[in-house]
Order: sequence, then C-alpha cells, then structure tokens
Amino acid sequence: MAGPQAQWEFSCDLEVDYESEENASMVYAALAVDKELQPDKVKRQMSVSNGKLIVHFEAVEARFLRASFSAFVDVLTLATKTIEEFGQGMEL
Amino acid sequence: MKKMIALGFEGSANKIGVGVVTLDGTILSNPRHTYITPPGQGFLPRETAQHHLLHILPLIKSALKTAQITPDEIDCLCYTKGPGMGAPLQVSAVVVRILSQLWKKPIIAVNHCVAHIEMGRIVTGADDPVVLYVSGGNTQVIAYSEGRYRIFGETIDIAVGNCLDRFARVLTLSNDPSPGYNIEQLAKKGETFIDIPYVVKGMDVSFSGILSYIEATAVEKLKNNECTPADLCYSLQETLFAMLVEITERAMAHCDKKDILIVGGVGCNERLQEMMRIMCSERGGRLFATDDRYCVDNGAMIAYTGLLAYAHGTLTPLEESTFTQRFRTDEVHAIWREKNEPSNMNDGVSSQV
Repeated sequence: MAGPQAQWEFSCDLEVDYESEENASMVYAALAVDKELQPDKVKRQMSVSNGKLIVHFEAVEARFLRASFSAFVDVLTLATKTIEEFGQGMEL
Repeated sequence: MKKMIALGFEGSANKIGVGVVTLDGTILSNPRHTYITPPGQGFLPRETAQHHLLHILPLIKSALKTAQITPDEIDCLCYTKGPGMGAPLQVSAVVVRILSQLWKKPIIAVNHCVAHIEMGRIVTGADDPVVLYVSGGNTQVIAYSEGRYRIFGETIDIAVGNCLDRFARVLTLSNDPSPGYNIEQLAKKGETFIDIPYVVKGMDVSFSGILSYIEATAVEKLKNNECTPADLCYSLQETLFAMLVEITERAMAHCDKKDILIVGGVGCNERLQEMMRIMCSERGGRLFATDDRYCVDNGAMIAYTGLLAYAHGTLTPLEESTFTQRFRTDEVHAIWREKNEPSNMNDGVSSQV
C-alpha cells in the first residue's frame, strides 16, 4: 500500500500537435472529464498550448504508469480519429 | 413541426451499437456489432473496449447513412452512462463528447436499464407493466411508481444471463450469436429433467449457487452417461425461468398490475416468454415481449430514452458526461412519465371525464 508520503518517482510526458487550438481544446475537454481511477497512485495533468495537447503523468510504480498511459493513448486516439472523420468537411 | 431526432450510443457490455430515432419511437437506423469470444471464453473489459474502439466510428457512418440524415438534423446525442463495464462504457462517452463539440449538439446521459424499459414500452405498446429485466448483467423485477422505476425484486448475486453464459462455457457451446441462444436451441432436445436447486428468497433470486452446482454435476453426470448436454440445458432453463416467473407473479400481485413486459437479452428466449405467458393468462393479464432486434442491447434504446428526457428539459453538461459501472434503475427520475401518468388507475374503471 502506498503511504501518504508516496513517492511520485515515475513520470512521462506526451505531446500531440493538432496544429489547431480548437481541435486540441476539444480533445482536452473530452478527456478531462474522466479522472484517474487511482489518484493516490497515478496523477495526470493536461494543458493546451499553441495547438498542442500536453499531458504529464506521474506514478508511484512503473506498472501504474504503464496502465494509465496506455489506456489514455487508446481514448486519445479515438477522440482524434472522431475529429478526423466527423469534423469539417465530413463525407457520408 | 420537424420531428425531434436523437443519435444514441450503447457500449456497456459486448455489443457496440449506434441508433437514430425520432420522439414518436420510429427507429430510422440501429446498426450494432457484437464482440464474440471463442467457445469456453467470456468477454473481458479491456478486449471488449478494443472491439468497440474498432467499430464505433464505422457504425456512426452506417447509422447516419441508413437513416438518411446529416448531423445538422440531429437534436441531441445520447450515450449509456451505466451500469456496465468501465472501459467499454468510456468508448461511447468519449465519442459523444467530441461529436457534441464538433456538431454543437447537447449530450444526454442515459441509464441502460431504464433504456431497456422505455424501448420495450414503445415497441410493444405496454403502458404500465411490471417489467422483468433479464440480461447478462442484470436481473430485476421493476414497476413504475411516483416518478421512478422501482426495483421490487432482483438477483442477490449474478445475473440470470451470466449463469446461462457461464454454463454454456462449461459445455463449450458457441458464443455466436449468443451463448443463451445456443442453450435455448439445445434445450429443445432435452428429455430428462434433472433436479437442480431452486433459489427464491422472498422477492429476490440467487443464481451463483445453482451455477456452482450444475458446473460440478454436469461434468460428473456427462462422464457417467447419466444425462446429455441437452438434458442439462433443458433442466437449467426450466429451473431458472420458473424462479423468474415466481418473483414476477409476486410483484404483479403486490403492485396490482396485470401486464408483464420482458426486456433485456434473455428476454428473447421463447421458452421464458412461453412460461411467463401461461402465468399471465392465469391471472388475466397480458405478456409483452420483443425479439432480439429490440431486447438485445442497441443504440436506438439509448437514443429514444435520451430523447424522452431531452424533450422534458433534461441534458448533461459536457463536464458531467461521466460513466459509471454502478447506476441503479431507481436513481433515475423518469420525468417523462410523470407528465402523463395513466389516468385510469383502477383498471379501466376511470372516474375521470
């Protein structure tokens, strides 16, 4: 069990360049709704800057970092594909 | 006036579906895709979510195309908030949040169980029935009272569909189109009834002990040639369904309602429908049931129920469009029912003009 003074020694960063402040903000808004399931083990910080979505993860163990990161990338990909396929100029 | 149109997303278990409906219940399109695992295996959250990720976007295109509508014509986007498996639920929620921003449409979060009930009511025309909701994840006897769908009886452990699905794995029956369907077909060839525990506790039922018993007995009896797989399927179905009929009958007496509506994936089992119909006819009531197009999870049921809520002023802000594994049927305030309460509470002998 992680104690109250848990060490956040595992971290990683992810940056996705949408080249569009609007699209980056849309993905941010969609993914910010779901909080990390174990906030005492994994922390996620997100921001949008210059059309980029910037994500920073911190975790107490490598396996928690891996699980959170990989689940996040799956939904990030889904959100991005949704914009690509149903955004401006979509074809049915 | 233009008819209101909703786009609905369902992905709480092993099916991902997208439906387009209008407020009068017309289904314009309702495509879905089922994650089918090999015989002997169940579906797990992670793999199921991967399946949904792969199919959801093509399903949206197909739903819009079949319904012959453009995003402009949609009034609202509805998604399953819960109950269900977390990772699969997230797929629909994320897509809806993006589409809501792209198309500038409001979001409506929908309770999966309530959606089954509303779909059943609009398809069959059952106005105010006792509802038996039976599926792979849920087993509840429900009736509407004072603004909510109240649970009168339910399983205290696993769902009836889960019991059937897991027994199908013991026999390594195919999961295509569903394990329950294959048990139903095999049960028709059963000849000998094998005694199985019968577990009704007041208004509630329990299936996990029955499953453990038949899992252990099946292997033994089949090895000794004491019975066939068909006999086991037949005996299991008869026992489980008799329990469901018993608690449903008790709820009917308790609520003083005559009609029964069966919804949920197990609801398309024709033997269950037949047993329930016999009980109903003995009490002078009617049975309402639907086939697999409507009782199995689908996007249209979510779209329709969300649209009912939207038409009565409910919507879900983007920041609150979460999903949850636990979401009880009676947590939902069914405002759309309050405004048209059945006026004839005394079974047709109405005193109102």
